[in-house]
Order: sequence, then C-alpha cells, then structure tokens
Amino acid sequence: MIARARASALIFSLAALFAGPSPAAEDVTLLKDLTSVIMLLGLPCGQVVSAKRQADNDHIASCKNGNRYRVFVNAEGRVVAQKQ
Amino acid sequence: MDEAIPAWRQVSGATLKTCAEKMMPAVRTIGILFFALAAGCAGVKETPPSVIAQSGPLIVDPSLIGRNQDGAAAPEPPRAEAIQEAVALAPPPAGPRQPVVTGDNAIGNEPVAGAPAPPSKSQSVAKAAPPPAKAPAKISASPAAIEQPRKKEDPPPVVKKLEPPLDVAALKARLRDTNAIGVFTKLALKNQVDDLLKQFRAHYVSGQKTSVAALRQPYDMLVLKVLALVQDSDPSLARTISGSREAIWSILADPEKFNSVV
Repeated sequence: MIARARASALIFSLAALFAGPSPAAEDVTLLKDLTSVIMLLGLPCGQVVSAKRQADNDHIASCKNGNRYRVFVNAEGRVVAQKQ
Repeated sequence: MDEAIPAWRQVSGATLKTCAEKMMPAVRTIGILFFALAAGCAGVKETPPSVIAQSGPLIVDPSLIGRNQDGAAAPEPPRAEAIQEAVALAPPPAGPRQPVVTGDNAIGNEPVAGAPAPPSKSQSVAKAAPPPAKAPAKISASPAAIEQPRKKEDPPPVVKKLEPPLDVAALKARLRDTNAIGVFTKLALKNQVDDLLKQFRAHYVSGQKTSVAALRQPYDMLVLKVLALVQDSDPSLARTISGSREAIWSILADPEKFNSVV
C-alpha cells in the first residue's frame, strides 16, 4: 500500500514537472526559422541543428555541415547572417 | 410374403431416409462450394487491353519469325515481318495499315485495324496473334486514349476566366499572419521584396526603353523562394501565391499600375 502511494506520488510529481509547453517545440520552430533565413540568404548550411541566443533577434546558428552563422537584425531592419 | 414386402419396404424406406439425411449436409456443402466458385468466377474481370498488348512479345515463338522470313506462310494475313517483305517485293495491300514498330515488338505482332484475324496453325501462332475479339477492344480503347489529351487541352481558358481578381492587400495580410514561416524569415523576405521593388522603381525612374524582362528572373526566384517556404505548412496560401504570380507580374511590369500600387 505504501509502495503504491509512493509510486503514484512519483508519477504525479513527474507529470507536474513535465507539464506545460515544452521548450523543445520552441527550439524546433526557431531552428526551422533560422534554417529558412540562411537558405533565403543563399548561404550554405543544409539545416540548423542548434542555436544559441545572444540577444533579442540575435542568434548563433550551427549548421549540419559545420558552418556557424550569426543571424541578427541590423540597425536598418535587415536580417543578416554573418559567417563565424 | 405379402407381409414381407411391406416390411422390406419399410426397412428400405428407412434406409433411404437415413441415407438422404446423411447426404443432406454433403449436398449442402457441395452446393455452397459451387455457389462460392460461381461467385468467384463472376468477380474475375478481364485484363485491360494494354496488359494484353504488353504480354504479347513474351510469348512469341522465335521459330515463327524464321518461318515468316522464309515466306512459307503465304495464306496468312499480313503480319509485321510479312508486311515488311510485301513492302520490299510488291505494293502493299490497301486495307490494313502497317505497324510502326517491327520485329518482336507487340505492335508489330498484333493484327491491325480492320484486318481479319489470322487462322492459327499452331499454339505459338495463336499466342503471338491474339484472338480477334481482343484486337478490336484494344483498337477501340486506343482512340479514346488519344482523344483524352485533346479534351484536357480545352479547359484551361475557362479556368483562367474564372480566376478571382488579385487582392494584393489580402495576400500581404495572409503572408504576414501565416504561421508557416518564422519572424526572421518573414523579415528577410520583406527585405528581398523591398529590394526587388527598388530595382523596378530604379528601372522606371531611369526611363530605360528596354523592357522589364530582365527583372523577371529575380521575380520568379523570389516567388519560388516564398512558395518553397510556405507550401508545406500553408498549402492554400502557396496555391494563392502561385495562382497570382502572373497577375502580380502584370502589375510590376506596367509602370502605371506599379506606381498606383506601390
């Protein structure tokens, strides 16, 4: 009886821990967005596999082919991808 | 003896009844089997003519070709090889037309339109030349297949007439609101659209007499980029953009329309 109670408590606590919007979904959206931008700018990348946020609208994107780009919005409002 | 006969009849009647009772399930089973067999046969459909035509060359007996090349089968109606010989030696017969492909090809081995079916001498001959009932079926099917593309060519003008007028503002709003592309991508797209519009403006301001055809390629490239980004997640928007492609170009290519819109 005690074991069952412990197990159910563990399950509930884990469910509470993983409930809510997962950050992975947001990551996937961002990675897709960065992939599209780099593709749109005509730069070789393939697919962005990871991204590190530096500031608002400023990310370091790591591509599948090993390239790294800093994708940001400059002062003129243009999206720029700078190879690192 | 008189009593014995009814007794025997009773016995035999009882035996017959027993036999009939025993036979009933077997008869039922056989009846069901026959019914199932008949139903199965009713469900079998004829293979389409194209399949028959394709299976033709696989059955052709090579010895038959040799016989035809010798010219021994004189009474046979013209087949591919026979027609070739006839063309070489004598004027062709008026009725049947010549096959386009000769040799082991299925077209060459099949009887031509209106030609009588060849009387089969052996089984291989019968396999090489399909029976007359199948040949007209194929011939009747082939004109329909030829006419189909002609029918498909007609509708597009009607579709073009029914095309709704281009609503640039609505299209812009849809592009802005779609979730198919992210914020960075939208901004990058907007930058590229602005760049292209600048090129058009520069072209019209400079007063060049050359056409704007040179800008068609960057325009097409940009549209393709947008379609590539949108088509998976928002297919309806992709269809709208694709359908509006020429209408947008007609605005961009006309200086008056361009100045009124931009």
